[in-house]
Amino acid sequence: MVGAFDFVPAIVLLPFFSFLVALFLGKYMPKGGALAGITATAGSLLLSIWTVLTVAGFTGTATTYQQTLYTWAGGMEGTPLPYELTFGLLIDPLSSMMLLIVTLVAFLVHVFSLGYMNDEGETGLPRYYAGLGLFSASMLGFVVADNLLMAFMFFELVGLCSYLLIGFWFREEAPPSAAKKAFLVTRFGDYFFLIGVVAVFATFGTAAFAGDGSFPALAEAALAGEGGGDVNTLFGLDPQAWFTVVGLLVLGGVVGKSAQFPLHTWLPDAMEGPTPVSALIHAATMVAAGVYLVARMYGFYALTPTTLAIIAFVGGFTALFAATMGVVKREIKQVLAYSTISQYGYMMLALGSGGYIAATFHLMTHAFFKALLFLGAGSVIIAMHHNENMWDMGGLKDRMPTTYYTFLAGSLALAGIFPFSGFWSKDEVLYEALVHGLGGSPLLLAAWAMGLLAVFFTGFYTFRMVFLTFHGKPRTDTARNPHGVRWNVKGPLAVLAVLAVVAGFINMVPVAKLTGLEIEFLHDWLAHGPSGLTSEHYSELTHDYANYSVGTLVGGELGTALISGAVSLGLALAGAGLAYSLYNVPEPVEHTDRLGSAKDVLFNNYYQDEYQVWLANDVARGISRGADKFDQGVVDGVVNGISSVSLLSGSRVRRIQTGVVSNYAALLTLGLVALLVILGLQGGWFV
Amino acid sequence: MVPPQYYLLLAAAIFCIGLFGILTRRNALLFLMSVELMLNAANINLVAFSVYWGNVTGQTLSLFTMALAAAEVAIGIGIILTLYRNFGDVDVTDAASMRW
Repeated sequence: MVGAFDFVPAIVLLPFFSFLVALFLGKYMPKGGALAGITATAGSLLLSIWTVLTVAGFTGTATTYQQTLYTWAGGMEGTPLPYELTFGLLIDPLSSMMLLIVTLVAFLVHVFSLGYMNDEGETGLPRYYAGLGLFSASMLGFVVADNLLMAFMFFELVGLCSYLLIGFWFREEAPPSAAKKAFLVTRFGDYFFLIGVVAVFATFGTAAFAGDGSFPALAEAALAGEGGGDVNTLFGLDPQAWFTVVGLLVLGGVVGKSAQFPLHTWLPDAMEGPTPVSALIHAATMVAAGVYLVARMYGFYALTPTTLAIIAFVGGFTALFAATMGVVKREIKQVLAYSTISQYGYMMLALGSGGYIAATFHLMTHAFFKALLFLGAGSVIIAMHHNENMWDMGGLKDRMPTTYYTFLAGSLALAGIFPFSGFWSKDEVLYEALVHGLGGSPLLLAAWAMGLLAVFFTGFYTFRMVFLTFHGKPRTDTARNPHGVRWNVKGPLAVLAVLAVVAGFINMVPVAKLTGLEIEFLHDWLAHGPSGLTSEHYSELTHDYANYSVGTLVGGELGTALISGAVSLGLALAGAGLAYSLYNVPEPVEHTDRLGSAKDVLFNNYYQDEYQVWLANDVARGISRGADKFDQGVVDGVVNGISSVSLLSGSRVRRIQTGVVSNYAALLTLGLVALLVILGLQGGWFV
Repeated sequence: MVPPQYYLLLAAAIFCIGLFGILTRRNALLFLMSVELMLNAANINLVAFSVYWGNVTGQTLSLFTMALAAAEVAIGIGIILTLYRNFGDVDVTDAASMRW
């Protein structure tokens, strides 16, 4: 019987065809290839819905799918570890959910692009739509990958598309530079990822994510003391330490792609790209690739408590760090960029503290509300004739109500206000960190505290943005008379706004605990799947290997959940309230001077860019100068020395060729005599 | 029968005379003659050992050597002629342009 799984390759290939069509035929098509992209992503979306329904069991029994499609390098016989490098599909609850998110956002972004790019009379549209198509295809390929190497390849393709689309306006000065920065910074992380992939192959001889022979399963067996002989650890480390090293290497790619500290600097600059691109790539999907990768191989990470602690701490720190920078920004997209970094910090915090479901949940809700906010910002930017400075806006509420109400829904979700989707997911993230922290992992409590503090800043910068943009009196002529937007902008906004409001209802943990109803749908969803890839298995692993256990405050789990939710909601409301009192006035003024010297630090992003430029210019250049000296002096010196010896001796020895035949005869004779003497000495003639 | 040592001594003497000629003479004709002397010293050895062992192979080989020497002289005289044409002399040390 033909089922949804037979069409899964088409989910990836359809956007790829739209890439080819837009690239080669786009200039002959009426909308510059937009229709091909919309059709392809719509097709992928429908197929993804069918896939999700199949996985959920609406078409019979709940089922998952793993299939190797193509072996492009066979096992090498005779070597100790015969590797097989393959392309394959892995469809389980996690990847099918991600397929749905990616195709939905990609489809809406394609539609929105009609308004943002076509209606604004941009040139180079075939290139733009080709980039979007290739990006969608690569991201979907990454999502369905069943092994780490395939995931890595699509991970790189995604990075390439990001580079192409950030630098879309390549004739201006800033975008190409931002594109290069994004490419280089993420590539720096991917370098470690590549070594990690090689290390996984060297250790396990396979990079498959799922099944009995997959590398998380082998790692678990090795740590449990069964079949440890199948695992080669390097450098004489014991399996636990070596797995930590491998996990950290792969984490390098995650930190780069998901814009975690210290490799977050590329993301704010990436806002130079077209706004739909920012929505699709730098908020909803590509940046999610890093988090998704950790979730995908969570069975491996759950075995190494050190890695988990680092993930949690980096995540918590990034959440707070980025949120404070978002507080002072003037451009609407910059605020959103820092909030993106901050929100991915939350997801990492959840993953590191054993909250696999919480991270996946926040990944989903964030994809919806952040895509919504970016597209809303795009709508505002269209209206403002591509002026992004919030201090030039104001009062847009009455002139563009659709954008205002949808943007407000997204903002409430981002700030984590009850009952919007962000509240449920962020609350669960913090809850997981708190209970596991109380259960005997004090480091998680520190990460939790940073995440909790970031909630306040999130509420503040979100509503500062809303009030400055939409409330008060218009501060410029453009804001008094904004450019209108059409259905192709409002439609995607409306769809995403609905999702941003309701997406949280699939997993209302506090309500479920309070009422005892079975409404934790996401828990059930992620609890089934191939053995070894279920959330229950993961929680066993974190409990057994990382000693994560649940600790509670007063009132048991219910009380803790309610207290945690109330505290984070209170902080979010406090932040929003502060923003309300400062900025929701007819003529708001900048209050940043009150921050004193902290203001400069925040405006300059904690001097992270300067620090990295210093690293590159002074440190790296100094080291390379030293390396150059060593190369020129020692390596080249030895080679040149040897060659100069033969040159010199050659120039001396050649002088015996005088051209005088008598000299040659004399040399021949001398040679003969010498030979005779030697032979004589050896033969004992003279004794 | 004359013992072979005498032949060997004679051949060695002739060889040394030829060698001396090659090392000291500058005239190309004398040079050529000295080479001939050395060749013939070898011939004497061949014939002497042939007689000593009662085997005619050595004598046959010496016949070949003579034919070879004749051919060599023909080429040698050709070279000397060219030398004379180019340098106006038969002094071998004049033709020293093929050097480093």
